[in-house]
Amino acid sequence: MDTQWPRYEVFKQDRPGEPHESIGTVHAVDAEMALQNGRDLFARRPKCHSLWVARADAITSKTAEQLAAKELATDNSWQADIDPQAPTETYLVFQKQTERRGMTFTTHVGEVEASSPVHALQQAIAIFPAEQVFVWWVCPASAVTRSEEADTLPMFAPAQDKLYRLPNQYRTVFTMQKIKRGKDVIE
Amino acid sequence: MYGQETDPDYPTKLAEFEARIARGEKIEPGDWMPERYRKQLVRMISQHAHSEVVGMLPEGAWITRAPNLRRKQVLLAKVQDEAGHGQYLYHAAETLGATREEMLQALLTGQAKYSSIFNYPTVTWSDMGAIGWLVDGAAIMNQTMLAQCSYGPYSRAMVRICAEEGFHKKQGQEMIIQYAQGTPEQKAMAQDSINRFWWPTLMMFGPHDSASTNSDELTRWGIKTKSNDQLRQEFVNELVPLLHALGLEVPDPDLRYDEESGNWISGEINWNEFWQVVKGNGPMNAARLQARQEAHDNGRWVREALAAYAERDV
Ligand SMILES: [Fe+2]
Ligand SMILES: [Fe+2]
Repeated sequence: MDTQWPRYEVFKQDRPGEPHESIGTVHAVDAEMALQNGRDLFARRPKCHSLWVARADAITSKTAEQLAAKELATDNSWQADIDPQAPTETYLVFQKQTERRGMTFTTHVGEVEASSPVHALQQAIAIFPAEQVFVWWVCPASAVTRSEEADTLPMFAPAQDKLYRLPNQYRTVFTMQKIKRGKDVIE
Repeated sequence: MYGQETDPDYPTKLAEFEARIARGEKIEPGDWMPERYRKQLVRMISQHAHSEVVGMLPEGAWITRAPNLRRKQVLLAKVQDEAGHGQYLYHAAETLGATREEMLQALLTGQAKYSSIFNYPTVTWSDMGAIGWLVDGAAIMNQTMLAQCSYGPYSRAMVRICAEEGFHKKQGQEMIIQYAQGTPEQKAMAQDSINRFWWPTLMMFGPHDSASTNSDELTRWGIKTKSNDQLRQEFVNELVPLLHALGLEVPDPDLRYDEESGNWISGEINWNEFWQVVKGNGPMNAARLQARQEAHDNGRWVREALAAYAERDV
């Protein structure tokens, strides 16, 4: 009975108006629990306005290396067979946009209408700036669960007061300087 | 995507892979990587995750005995962070095909290693200060290096962890500063904590470079960019002058300042003790594993209840 639960990717928005960024995963039995776990794991400190979660297996990911290797080109579904008649749905598009040191992975850049993940990826590459993209993710919007505006206060406000979690609340460097200076005077 | 040495294209792909690393590019899940790179990372990351998880125990034991509410809040928050660090790292290892069950099993059966420092007991309150300042401080040096590492998920987990570790180190240092300037009893308590944690902290950096087996490969593949001895030296150089300024002693009679290099040179580490602890014979090895096993067993009904809830009709 110790089977692990599905993985959910967690996306965090720091402030209203900023994009959601992927920050890691949690395991959970359902999306609601994934949001809760995501809060506990990634919003212990100030600066969280909204969270999204999506089952990791609902996300299609391709790195620049994979795309360059034309791995998809040898795959039939990539080349053709995109049925123009097939019903479409909305996909969210995410990009890894930088190689700079940081704690977030992919950034939400927008939506496309597509009939399959491969179609969504094609659309995304055609529509969004594709230079300097290191990883692409597409995910059906229907697979994403979002914290609601009404959740913002109960879910994320408690972390706002926990300033003692921030290193800048400790004046150890200043205190040590003061102590050293005091010593110099005595000696 | 995990390259085997038997693959005829392996040398070409390996050369491309190493060139990417030399250019400072990050390797991401889905990219080609040598199987050996994957294996080394899973080993390192899971050991690191276990250290965060077991690392909750020595400090968790003191939450109910914190001397005031603020110290209690701070310690609780720190221990909670360590639980989070374990999760970030298990996540990074999962991107390389390891599962949480596997990793947890390896920890509980004693197959997996974790940092030897957590096999020492915490016997007084100021051990919380010594752990924060020395142990988390030493961890930060290693983790700051790993934040630059070539594997994207590991590097990102390290950046997030380092940002939180700053708080861990400073709350510990703040405590030791206060006690060093407090009553004679408080100062003696702080000195005693430093005496017990100094050497085990130096051991955290691992064997001397001359005795370290994995180093070359890890350096070439951009996982480790500094050696054990280099990091240890940086730590000693940072801590010794600060401890002296506080009127505290470093429990090393051979410690000396080398004018030429500007380094504080330590006496020899007791490697016999180190290997004994690594092999499971440290003062707290058995107790730590037992506590983990109990926590796992006691949590079973919660996991079962949630799994049953997940199967409900919606
Ligand atoms: Fe940690
Ligand atoms: Fe820590």
